[in-house]
Amino acid sequence: MTFADYLTNNYENLIELSIEHLQLVLIAMLVATAVGIPLGVLAHRSDVVRPAILSVTSFFLTIPSLALFAIFIPVFGLGSPPAVVALTLYALLPIVANTVAGLNSVDPAVVKASRGMGLGSWGRLWQVELRLAWPVIVTGLRVSTQVVVGIAAIAVFVGGPGLGNEIFRGIRSLGTPGAENLVYGGTIAIVVIALTFDGLFVLVRRFTTSRGIR
Amino acid sequence: MTATDSATSSTGATPREVMIELDELTKTFPGQSRPAVDRLSLSVHRGEIVVFVGPSGCGKTTSMELVNRLIEPTSGRIILEGEDVTTSNPDELRRRIGYVIQETGLLPHRTIADNIAMVPKLVGWKKARINDRVDELLGMVGMDPAGYRDRYPKELSGGQRQRVGVARAMAADPQLMLMDEPFGAIDPITRERLQNEFLRLQAQIQKTIIFVTHDIDEAIKMGDRIAVLRDQSHIAQYDTPENILTKPADDYVSDFIGSGASLKRLNLSRIRDVEMATDAPTGSITDSAEDLGRKLAASDWSAVLLLDEQRRPARWVNAQDLRRDNFDGARMGLEARAVVEPHATLADALNELVISNGGCAIVSDANGAYVGVVDLETIMAAIRVMRDEHTRFYLAAKSHSQVDL
Repeated sequence: MTFADYLTNNYENLIELSIEHLQLVLIAMLVATAVGIPLGVLAHRSDVVRPAILSVTSFFLTIPSLALFAIFIPVFGLGSPPAVVALTLYALLPIVANTVAGLNSVDPAVVKASRGMGLGSWGRLWQVELRLAWPVIVTGLRVSTQVVVGIAAIAVFVGGPGLGNEIFRGIRSLGTPGAENLVYGGTIAIVVIALTFDGLFVLVRRFTTSRGIR
Repeated sequence: MTATDSATSSTGATPREVMIELDELTKTFPGQSRPAVDRLSLSVHRGEIVVFVGPSGCGKTTSMELVNRLIEPTSGRIILEGEDVTTSNPDELRRRIGYVIQETGLLPHRTIADNIAMVPKLVGWKKARINDRVDELLGMVGMDPAGYRDRYPKELSGGQRQRVGVARAMAADPQLMLMDEPFGAIDPITRERLQNEFLRLQAQIQKTIIFVTHDIDEAIKMGDRIAVLRDQSHIAQYDTPENILTKPADDYVSDFIGSGASLKRLNLSRIRDVEMATDAPTGSITDSAEDLGRKLAASDWSAVLLLDEQRRPARWVNAQDLRRDNFDGARMGLEARAVVEPHATLADALNELVISNGGCAIVSDANGAYVGVVDLETIMAAIRVMRDEHTRFYLAAKSHSQVDL
């Protein structure tokens, strides 16, 4: 069976798995963004908690991915939940680190002038600091998404959904005719998803960044 | 009233309304035993420019930042328009006080209009009123509203950015403005222009201004009164520029003024205060050589100043140029350089004079139209008057001491 035959017979299945994969990535990224940016702001603003936040988030990235998925099985059981949690933790570091880096790169004179004109602490954060740090933060989200799209394939080992299932099915039946097609099919779909996200982030960054700082 | 008038009247016998009073203001930074600012007490009158000047590290910027409480004082009081604001809401206080810094600090992601609109938005002005105000302010700082409203700070030159910074500080019409070395990071020629523009503006708007600089020449030029600060923001002398130059309180002040105190006094007189020559022959660049020749012959000048359609100085032509074939006023003779405004100081005029090619500085009004000329003779006369005043003062002091004996 050629790869083309495989695609014509399996595209529906591949699309379904891709959608599952996307859902997994999106949920993990939404949670990681919602947690990561505030953590980054906190780390930027407080010298006391910054080392703790940065070392804990980088610690997650050092745990072998397979192990990180497995650690959560006793807590969440099998399936999507441990996968989402593990992916979220993986996604955190680039988001937190880039939020801190982005906020640090804001010109202190701009912050000082804003303060001197009576813009309060939250106003400064929202109207000035986050706007100026935004391009760097978006880059963090982009890197995170790339990491998560790839690692999400491992979710299959904890019974999770997504394109890992296709790849794993292929690996298990290696040696039988056409088994490698499954591996290729799953891998290519992941690459397509990753590239699509990458393109989307370039567009998002472009259209959400003020012309004044592009 | 003009800037120099207010300088003299602030020393006069009539007490003027106090805009802001600093009372024993002290700041000790955490972990330091010596205060950075030690019991600074001083009051600033409504409508005057007070300059804090001193060497770096003397605490002048810290002192200024205590006023709008960017740095919270350790002790002491700040009284703004009779109201103790030492513990009031700092953000609301800052919205009442204009703030300009050397680095400008414009928001790079916002347009010029949005930058200027910042404080009016914070204090809740209506959109239409903000729009009108933005246009008005851009006009005031000499920038065409239509051309600049929607630009971003990075698209402007350093001088333009600083103009926008000043406009932004004035946006909600604060009575008090703080300016921390506002022209410090700008090239000398543009700086001089901005200083003059600002003085002209101040003559109209009459704000109370606290201005920080390390440059004594700038202090003399800008200040109605100058506070010369030493270590820990102790006031060495707080007086008018004239008195600081002629009667320095101690060696510290005279050392800080440096050499050439009398030359620095050229910064005290402005062109509009001296008698400029208005008898220079002038013509239009479109006039014929014969007409111009008659005008030149009727005067005791060696050249005619040609003006363009807007009456702006264009070229100097002499008798030799006029005798040439195919005389064309727009091309012949020498370019009319060294144009100064009536607000410029005699030091500025002298500076221009040196690089001029007519041997005199041309004075033009705010629209660039010709007013008169200032030559070396005029400046020399002004210096002689200053010297005489100084001598009179010296003699008076001497006779006084003789009486005492």
